[in-house]
Amino acid sequence: MAHDEVRVMMLTWEYPPRIIGGISPHVYYLSKYLAKNGAKVYVITCDFPGASQHETIEGAEVFRISSYKNPAPDFASWVYLMNMNMQKEAAAIAKDLGGVDIFHAHDWLVATASIGLKHVFRKPLIATIHSTEIGRRNGLHSDYERMIHETEAWLTYEAWRVICCSNYMRDHVKEIFQLPLDKLDMIPNGVETREYEEIDTSDFRMKFALPEEKIVLFVGRLVYEKGVHILINAIPKILEKVNAKFIIVGDGYMRENLLELVKKIGLAHKVLFTGFLDDKTLKKLQRCADVSVVPSLFEPFGIVALEAMAAKSPVVVSDTGGLSEIVEHDTGVKVYPNNPDSLAWGITRVLLDEKYANWLRENAYKKVREKYSWEKISQQTKKVYLEVLNQYSRAYWA
Amino acid sequence: MLVVILSWEYPPRIVGLLSDYVKELSSKLAKMGVKTYTVTYHDSITGEVKEDEVIVYRVTNPVKTHISVLTWTLTLNQEIARAAANIWYRENRQVDVVDVQDWHFVPAAVTLKNALHIPFVYTVESLEDHRSYGANSPLNMAIKSVEQLGMNEAEKVIAKSVWMAQEIKRIYNVPMRKIKVVTPKDETWVEEILRIYRSVIRKRISSGS
Repeated sequence: MAHDEVRVMMLTWEYPPRIIGGISPHVYYLSKYLAKNGAKVYVITCDFPGASQHETIEGAEVFRISSYKNPAPDFASWVYLMNMNMQKEAAAIAKDLGGVDIFHAHDWLVATASIGLKHVFRKPLIATIHSTEIGRRNGLHSDYERMIHETEAWLTYEAWRVICCSNYMRDHVKEIFQLPLDKLDMIPNGVETREYEEIDTSDFRMKFALPEEKIVLFVGRLVYEKGVHILINAIPKILEKVNAKFIIVGDGYMRENLLELVKKIGLAHKVLFTGFLDDKTLKKLQRCADVSVVPSLFEPFGIVALEAMAAKSPVVVSDTGGLSEIVEHDTGVKVYPNNPDSLAWGITRVLLDEKYANWLRENAYKKVREKYSWEKISQQTKKVYLEVLNQYSRAYWA
Repeated sequence: MLVVILSWEYPPRIVGLLSDYVKELSSKLAKMGVKTYTVTYHDSITGEVKEDEVIVYRVTNPVKTHISVLTWTLTLNQEIARAAANIWYRENRQVDVVDVQDWHFVPAAVTLKNALHIPFVYTVESLEDHRSYGANSPLNMAIKSVEQLGMNEAEKVIAKSVWMAQEIKRIYNVPMRKIKVVTPKDETWVEEILRIYRSVIRKRISSGS
């Protein structure tokens, strides 16, 4: 390589302040720490009202491309059209920069743009697969879903290496796309513990719960795979043993159904739907929570569990996917997925035994700092880049 | 001169009139001494083969299941761009001009222009407004937005009749001086096309870019 610094062009459909799911914070922290560790990072992402078209954020150069000028009949068509513009603008940017060494794509949402860039510039492509269509939909049920699945498969085919954030996802991706194991890397997601340390929560708790009520917190999209309905079905059992307030943060297509369900079991006064919250309020809530619950049915990673652990809130999670790996027996409680009784047992156990809860808090916090720091994750990612560039330097394209 | 023509149909794949037009254009160009590549799509035949002095480079779509011609096109473009880039790298990083036939491979042409600095002309066989009888569903509008992109980014737009030139101006607001009318029935039509290619290449060289 002619340069001291590896120059990576990161492609992502979301980057702060545009936040839709977990990819946005992932790319934000990964880029920040890669830049800190001597990589030159260019982030190509979708535009957002009020956000600058070109700026430097935490050492990473961010370019926001026009993503809403093409009318589209449906979400997938919008994605492909957005990719057309992303590929077009990223090509001009890469050309102006005098080239980049690596393209790094995050999920199928930037598949076509990154594949096109790989071939016109003849540079290696790395793909991080955060989630899959099969996982999100629990199978493939329509041409629309099959099309997305095939696009994901194509991305993993074109990628020099494929990164997954948990062993569970690595095995899942290997299986559904029929990839050789030695093409895959497992690098976990991370969390910035420092951001939870300086939080002042005095006078904050009482906005959400009475002093005698414990706070049970759910954070996530209100969609089927996140299992909020299982939590709601567990509430009567929990309230038999302990007085608590259930706070549901997030939004999604199941919102109305969930509200209806809560009303039907007569617990509207015990459950608070906050909708989407800003980052600061959310972090405060996570600090206040007596227990954080992640009742997912499908969870490639489960970043929200890590966040809770960083906020020193004890976690109760369903024993599935990435959650099974993040949470160990001394850092949280794992319960049977899709089982309200088991979930109620786990939550009650934490709420009724303060000594146990505190023990979990301390262990979890220590674990997060050791294993899930972005510093460490960025170094692992950079190692993948350097290995790929080393192989590339001896390849036909170099 | 080295020309790469991008077309979604080329014999044996015949969807409409475009296939025969591109076949005639490319073989005549080749016979006039222009190194001519045609990059096109086929369901099952892929790879490069010389046919009537033209090097035909066929690719297929890596994504087989689709919900519309729009999504089909937008996942095929990367393979088209890959084939064209392969030609560029092999030919000592030199392709003089790309001629994109209709809207399908406009995205690839635009990327080749931005990344590898290859200018392109956009030859119009038909427009979405006519194909869909003025329909304005989101799908039609999306296709029109790709046509608009092609109109904006092309060095020259080639129309096959005066009527089409006027329609291009009316629908996409393209200035008349950017549109060239070449009727493929005229005896010297391929020479005229070649003249347009030359003017585009000259402009690129004289502008120093």
